Parts: sequence; C-alpha cells; structure tokens
Amino acid sequence: MIVGFLAPAVIIFSLVFLYPICRTVIMSFFKIDSVTAATDTWQFVGIGNYQKLFTTDIFKTAMFNIARIWFIGGLIVLIISLLFGVILTSGIRGKKFFRAIIYLPNIVSAVALATMWLQYVYSPKFGLLKSFLDAIGLHELAKTQWTAPEHVFWALLFAYCFGMIGYHMLIWMSGIERISPEYYEAATIDGANKIQQFRYMTLPLLKGVLKTNITMWSVSTAAFFVWSQLFSSVTANKGTIVPVQYMYMNIFGAGNAVTERNAGYGAAIGIILCICIVVIFTICNLLIKDDDLEF
Amino acid sequence: MKRKIISALLCAAMVGTMLVGCGGSGDGGSGGSSDSGDSGSSGGGDKLVYWSMWSEEEPQAKVIKEAVEKYTADTGVEVDVQFKGRNGQREGLQPALDAKQQIDVFDESVDRVNGSWGSYLLELEDMAKDYEAEHGNATLFTLARLAGGGTLKSIPYQPSIFGFFYNKTLFDKAGISAVPTTWEELDAACAKLKDKGIIPITGDTTYMTSFLGYHLGRHLGQDGVKALVKDPAVADKVESGEIEDVSWDDPRVAEAAKEIEDFASKKYFSENIAANVFPAGQNQEFAPGDAAIILCGSWLPNELKNAVAEDLEWGYFNYPAVKDGKDDASVNHLSNQVLAINKDSKMADQAFELIEYITTGEFDKKMIEEAMCIPTDSANGDAWPTELTEVKTGMEATTGYYDWAVGAENNGDATSVLNESICKLMAGTMTADEFVSTCKSAVGE
Amino acid sequence: MAKEDKVKTKWNLKKELRLAPGYVVIILWVLFTLILLGWILAASLSTTADIFAGKALEFPTGLHFENYTKAWGDGGVATFFMNSLLYSLVSCALLVVICAPAAYVLARFTFMGNKIIQTGFVSAMGVPITMIVLPLFCVVANMGILNNITASKVTLIFLYVGINIPYTTIFLLTFFANLSRTYEEAAAIDGCPPTRTFWKIMFPMAQSGIITVTIFNFINIWNEYFLSLIFANNDALRPVAVGLYGMLQSMQYTGNWAGMFAAVMIVFLPTFILYLFLSEKIIGGVTGGIKG
Repeated sequence: MIVGFLAPAVIIFSLVFLYPICRTVIMSFFKIDSVTAATDTWQFVGIGNYQKLFTTDIFKTAMFNIARIWFIGGLIVLIISLLFGVILTSGIRGKKFFRAIIYLPNIVSAVALATMWLQYVYSPKFGLLKSFLDAIGLHELAKTQWTAPEHVFWALLFAYCFGMIGYHMLIWMSGIERISPEYYEAATIDGANKIQQFRYMTLPLLKGVLKTNITMWSVSTAAFFVWSQLFSSVTANKGTIVPVQYMYMNIFGAGNAVTERNAGYGAAIGIILCICIVVIFTICNLLIKDDDLEF
Repeated sequence: MKRKIISALLCAAMVGTMLVGCGGSGDGGSGGSSDSGDSGSSGGGDKLVYWSMWSEEEPQAKVIKEAVEKYTADTGVEVDVQFKGRNGQREGLQPALDAKQQIDVFDESVDRVNGSWGSYLLELEDMAKDYEAEHGNATLFTLARLAGGGTLKSIPYQPSIFGFFYNKTLFDKAGISAVPTTWEELDAACAKLKDKGIIPITGDTTYMTSFLGYHLGRHLGQDGVKALVKDPAVADKVESGEIEDVSWDDPRVAEAAKEIEDFASKKYFSENIAANVFPAGQNQEFAPGDAAIILCGSWLPNELKNAVAEDLEWGYFNYPAVKDGKDDASVNHLSNQVLAINKDSKMADQAFELIEYITTGEFDKKMIEEAMCIPTDSANGDAWPTELTEVKTGMEATTGYYDWAVGAENNGDATSVLNESICKLMAGTMTADEFVSTCKSAVGE
Repeated sequence: MAKEDKVKTKWNLKKELRLAPGYVVIILWVLFTLILLGWILAASLSTTADIFAGKALEFPTGLHFENYTKAWGDGGVATFFMNSLLYSLVSCALLVVICAPAAYVLARFTFMGNKIIQTGFVSAMGVPITMIVLPLFCVVANMGILNNITASKVTLIFLYVGINIPYTTIFLLTFFANLSRTYEEAAAIDGCPPTRTFWKIMFPMAQSGIITVTIFNFINIWNEYFLSLIFANNDALRPVAVGLYGMLQSMQYTGNWAGMFAAVMIVFLPTFILYLFLSEKIIGGVTGGIKG
C-alpha cells in the first residue's frame, strides 16, 4: 500500500524536478552564459561562484533583507492571521463574508497591489497614509516619505504582509475547523473561558498547522521577488533587493544596461536559498513534534 | 525497499537520457538542425516565425500586425507573430533559441540583441546594402554596427534619445528664453523657476543612475565612468592602460558630486525625488505641470499622452556641458530597437523582406503616428511628431554616443548602491563626501 | 426548531458581548481592505490623469467604462479562458488524487526514505522556478512534442501537476498526521482493506485541508505565469494569465494606468468568482457527501 500510494507522486516529482535540480547543482560550479546553454560551453570554476557570492556586498545585503522579511514579516503575518482565524472561527456573524474579504488581496495580481500601495497609499502628495495621519493630527509624521531609501524596506514589508495575511488565515482556519466543536462545548461546560480555551486547547492542537504555516511562509519568502521588483527602480534598490532578484539580474541581465550574465552564479544563489529552506524545515520538524497528538 | 530501488533506477536512467538530450543540442548541428527542420515542415514549410518584444495591445504591436498582414497579402508567405512582451522576450527567447526552435525574426533593444543573443544573428551586410542606401539612417546604422562588433547584424527601428524634457509653458512663465546648454545656464534657469514657485527638476528613481552617469560622463567621458564603476567588461582594458583608470578620489568626481549637492542645497530637485518610484515623478509631478524639467528618454511623451495637463507644451534639450568637462552636450545616449534574423533561418530572404515592410515607408509612418516615436526610415525624416520637434534638434546636434546610463549601470553588483546614493544626494539626505565614500566602497575600491 | 432558535438567541447575547473586541478588529481590517481594493476598482473606472492627481475616488470626469472595453481588446480571450479552465480543473483534480495518498502515507507510516522524500519535496520548493522551468523546456523542446497541440496540452497539465506536487503533499501532511488511529483500527476489524479505508474514511476527514489546498492550487495554476510563458508558444495553448499579464504590461508601457487597473479587475474577477464557487460549493458538497 505504501508503494502504491506514494509511487505516482514520487515518480511525477522525479520526472519534473530531479533533472532540473541536479542540473542546477552542477551548474553552480560553472560559469555559463544562459541557463539553457549547451554543456560544452560551460567553464568549470569550482566553488568560485559561492566564494564570489559570500564576498559580494550586494548579495549579503540581499540575504539580510530576505532574513528580515522572513523573520519580522513572518511574526507579523502568522500572529495577525492566527488572530483573525481564531476570531472568525469563534462563531461571529458574517464569517464567510469576512473571510472572503480578508483573503481577497491574495488573489489580486501583485502588480496592481504594489502599484496601488506605491502610487496611492504611500504617495507623499495625496496618499491615504498622509491623509490619515493629517486627519488625526500627526502632521510631522504625515510628511514622511515612505518610499524614500530610509523607509522603503518597511513600506515594502508592510504592503507584502497585508497581502499574505488572508492566505495564512485560511490555513489556520482549516486547522481550527478540524478541531471538533465538542471539545469546546465540553471546555465551556467545565468553565474555561475563550482565552483559556485558546491557550490550552487551540494552540496545542494547532502545532501541526503552525509547522505548515512556517514552511509555506518560508517557501513563499524564498521566492519573494515580484514585490521587490515593483518597489525598486528598473534594476534593484539596496533597501529592497532580495536574492531571487539578484539571481534574476545575473541570469537575464540587469535592467537596461547589458551587464555580465552568469547562469552558474544564479544557480549558486538558488542552491543557497534551497539549503536555507531545508534547514528551516528540519529545525521546525525537530522543534515542533506533532506526532504525540491525535484527534 | 523494492520501490526505492526501482525508483532510483528509473531516476538514474531518466537523468542520463535527459543530460544527453539537452547536452546534445550543443554537440553539433546534426541533432538540432533536424529538429528545427521538423518544426519548420510541420508549420507548412513556408511559415515565418517572428517573436516580438511588444505586447499585443501596444500600438507598436498593432502596426506590426498590419504590416505583417500586408506582407502576407503581397507575398503569400504566412507569418506566425508571437507578441512576447518585454519580459517574455528577455526570459523566453534564449531558451527557445538554445533549444533550436524555429524563430526566424526577433527584436529587442540594440544592445541586448547584439550583446546577449549575438551568437544567433545572421550577418546582414550584403543583404541590407540596398536597404541602407535607400532607407538607412546613418546614425542608427553606425550604432548597430558598433553593437555588432563592426558588422551589421541587426536592422534598427524605433530610435530614442535620452535627455532633459521640459515644460515650455512653465519656462515661459519663468521668463527663460533659451534652453540651457551649460550647467551654469541650467543653474540660472532652475533659479528662475524656483522663484516662480515651480519645482525645477523632478524624475523617477529608475532614471537617477542615468542622471549620475550623464553628469560623471560630462566630466570624465564614458570610458572614465566605466572605469570608475568597475565595469567588468572593461577590466582588461583598464588593466592594460588602454582606458585610463579613474578612482573615486579623483578631484573631477568630487567636483561632479559637489555640483549635484549644490543643486540639492538650492532645492532645485523635487522634495520627493528619492521617493518617486516609477511613474510617480513623471505622472504626478511633471505631467500635471508642477515640475518643469525631467530626465527621461524620448518615449516619455507617448507614456504621458493620457496624463499631461492641457497647457503642457513639450520641449527638450540635451544634457548640458560642464566646466572643463571631457564631453560636451553633443555626446548623448541614443538607442533603438532592432530586428534581427536567426542565422539558422531557412527563409532569411523572406525574413528580411518582412523587416523592410515593418521599418519603412507606410508602416514606419503609422508607427510614428500611433506610438509617437522618432522616424526610422530616412525618407520619413520630416514626419516627426510635433511633441518631439525639439528632440529632433537635440538628435541632430548629437555626434557622439553613450551607452545606457553612460555605463554607470554596467557593474550590476554596484548599481543598487549607486542608485540609492545618488537619490539621497539629490534629496539632500547625503553630502557629496558621504556620497563619494559610499560609492567607493560599493565598487570595492 | 423553535426551541433551537431560542437557545441560539440566548447564547448570542452572551456571545456577542464576549466577541465584541473580535468584531472591532475584523471590521477595521475589512474596512481598510475594502478602501484599498475599492481604490483599485475606482481607478479602473477613472482616467490616468485623475489617478495621478489623487482624484481616483472623485470621478471628476465621470465613469470611464471604456477602460474595460479597451482592455478586453480583440484577442482570443475566449480560447485563453477555456484553456485556463481546462488546465486548472484537470490539474487540481489530479493533484488531490495523487498527493492525498502520498501525504497520508508520509504522515502515517515510518519507513526508510520517508524523511528523505519529505526533505526532497521541501527543497524542491526552495529552488527558484526559473532553474526548474528553463532546463525542462530544453528537454521537452528536443523531444519535438511542442508541435502538436494536444500533446502540448497534456505536457502542460503534466507540468502544472508536477510543479505543484511538493507543495500540495507537504501542505496535506499535517492534516493526516493528527488523525486518530482508532478509525483505521475499527475499519480493519470490520474487514475493510486499507486502500478503501483511506478513500472512504481518512480522505474525507482531511477535507478542510484538501479544500484549502485545492483553492490555493486552483488560484496558483490559474495565475501561473512563467511556466506558461515559456511553454505555451502558440495561441491555441495560451492560458489567460499570460495574455492578461501581457495586456497589463502594455498598459504600463503606453502610460494607460486607468486601463491597467481595468485589466487588473478583468484578471481578478474570474479568480474571485471561482474562489467563491470553490469555497462554498465544494465545502457544501464534501460535507454533504460525508453525512450521506
């Protein structure tokens, strides 16, 4: 049964992923013009690509940025989305409506959302943020240029998190809804209030879903790219550059200038990201054991 | 256990065949060319495939579509046009070429076509001889040969120039009679605008590295800028002394930074200059007539045609000369799109004929009208759009050519720091000295 | 019935009060979201000049529905739509059928290679999509499949499925991991074979996860851009996303920002409607199925 159940997934997975991944690993030790260049044009450089990456300031900046997005953004998104998930499953009216609206930003194309944030919310001339801060009397704060180099990272992070909350909320909700309502009824009868129920029942039972959430957040963070591109100039900004963006510059060339291309260098970036994901996943598995609970 | 072994074997076999499959395209034309022959014949054998950088709904694409229809009607040769869009072309063309897909004609900017895809281009010197004599714009052909390493491998169209656009109405209001040709005159013009409460200069952060490049270029020349930003492509020449090495400690660099700092301290730049993420500067400040001058390419009037204030009258001048600088205002960044033919194409002659349809006569005129662009065909030399009248003057005064951003973006690892720093310098949140030292460390000096 | 209602109302009084903070938080957030999305909708009915003058919400020149007609264009949108629907529906169904059993096995049984397969799936998600898609294209193009429309469609669906297998499987792991073993034991005692037990008992019990992941998969595949861009080099194959993103781009390049927002609404509406359809109908369907 194990074989029968697992085989289709594993075989299709291998067909699609195994060759590209092996190729990427091998590529990361070569200097190559384009991802699809014939193998006889590859120049072996050993670990040269990796060495160069770790001595390049802009790559370090990119890794630092993505680490901040992962950690700070992750905390914000997972906490707020859990809060929303709990509120929505606590039996309030209009749950379906609220759920749909909160999830909506996740399906609107990133291009539109980013344009909306940049040209409307953060606009120093007529922005929503400016009008709001002016309205509550914080005139000094209202003058802040949110997209200037000093603040652009936080502007980006907030805009991105706004779109991601609905997605993670749905994951939390699917976990909470699986917990039988009988548990809560029993707990209520025993006199536990909502907060106690959350602390002693919901949270422990959600450990597995937390793991899923962290994995999914890490995966989407690693692929984080479009938002950075939209928040920066044609090439990349120091404040918002992320590894995939840097990889893109090295594979397809940067902006309007024709810069040096090296797909092997790009492959090395991909491998580093991939290793980060695996490390996070492994740590998660070690820290959060969900096998001890069955319900 | 059995399952594991089987799947491991399967995978190993697969990886093996795939490596051979893809590597094979490299070891000679034998396997590859038969493939492309297949795809050719399956399409009827006489179908041209044209991958275009435009998106379906752009005016350029519409004109190209018409040109293609006319071409097919006249010659009976069918054309499969794929409008891939900028990103689609940039990301998708190379793999398709590498996989020997049938693509006879493709287009993109002159630098990318000749630089990134140079090994796939058919040499066109003989084929284009008559074409060049009849329709060729001398400047554009010079540029195309320059990019092709001395020979003609691509046919230019859609030329553009990079410089300062200004709002004539606002210049009149401020009493500025002549366009600035030197940095001092620009200074004086900005002072007058400032007095009238008009924002003198705005722009989008996207183009600010070009601002830096232009300014440094005026002082140092393009080779100087490339040496300064440590462009990997000229590293050898700097090493051998063919190009003079320029350090960030050079007094000319300090001078250039000081001049920008001076403008910033006089509040000539929009207070939002560092926060203007494209297209905020051009759409929110220049188009409504709040700001008078903007640095951009000659595609700007087309991009703003839906947004400009009714009283905005378009003017243009080349980036002014600086005192004791290496280059004067006659050296500028000119660029264009080019069409190129795949060297493996079996229908090169027909492909060239198609290019002729697109870039000359009737359809070139249509392109000028629809996309508000500069004429390609020298026979249409008088058909410039009215918005670009002064661009024509600027272009005719140009005798030397810069690359994009005068080479300031050629070191991909440094660009983001350079861009952020110049924005801060212009916004007045960074001093000239800080600017120089930040850039210095960014290029690893 | 009447009795039940009474009980409910009584509960509500107490409950609503206790839930008040929750209501406040949610309503504030929803309002914020509605303002932002409302602005996009307003911008799509405005003009470019008004948007950048900060007057998108005031409509000084009236409503501009022509943005939509222009954005819709004359391209073969109908074909693209059918393609997208085909790709998304078939791929989603296949994904559930393929990944749910795999996730169940990976979550339930300890065997050699379990952790390796899991780690393999996760690391595959970490590799940038560019590095996966471009080499695959090279292989597929050399196989000469791309000249046949039907074969190309099958290839595309195969790839959509393949690309989403790691994601779907990892997502579903949790939902099987915590299921009580008593159900399987009971079924075994009744003489139900394991495969049947899975489909009849365990599969429905993970429904909340399966529905959620199907919604995500559907939207992912519907909006999938890069894979389709590289592989679908023919108008007969192209899904909506590629065409619409192209349209979006061209609106930017021609400075028609109002048109761009209209294009965004056109891209967004089908996914939204499908989301509503999926989340309501499927939840209803599956729950009904279990009870029946």
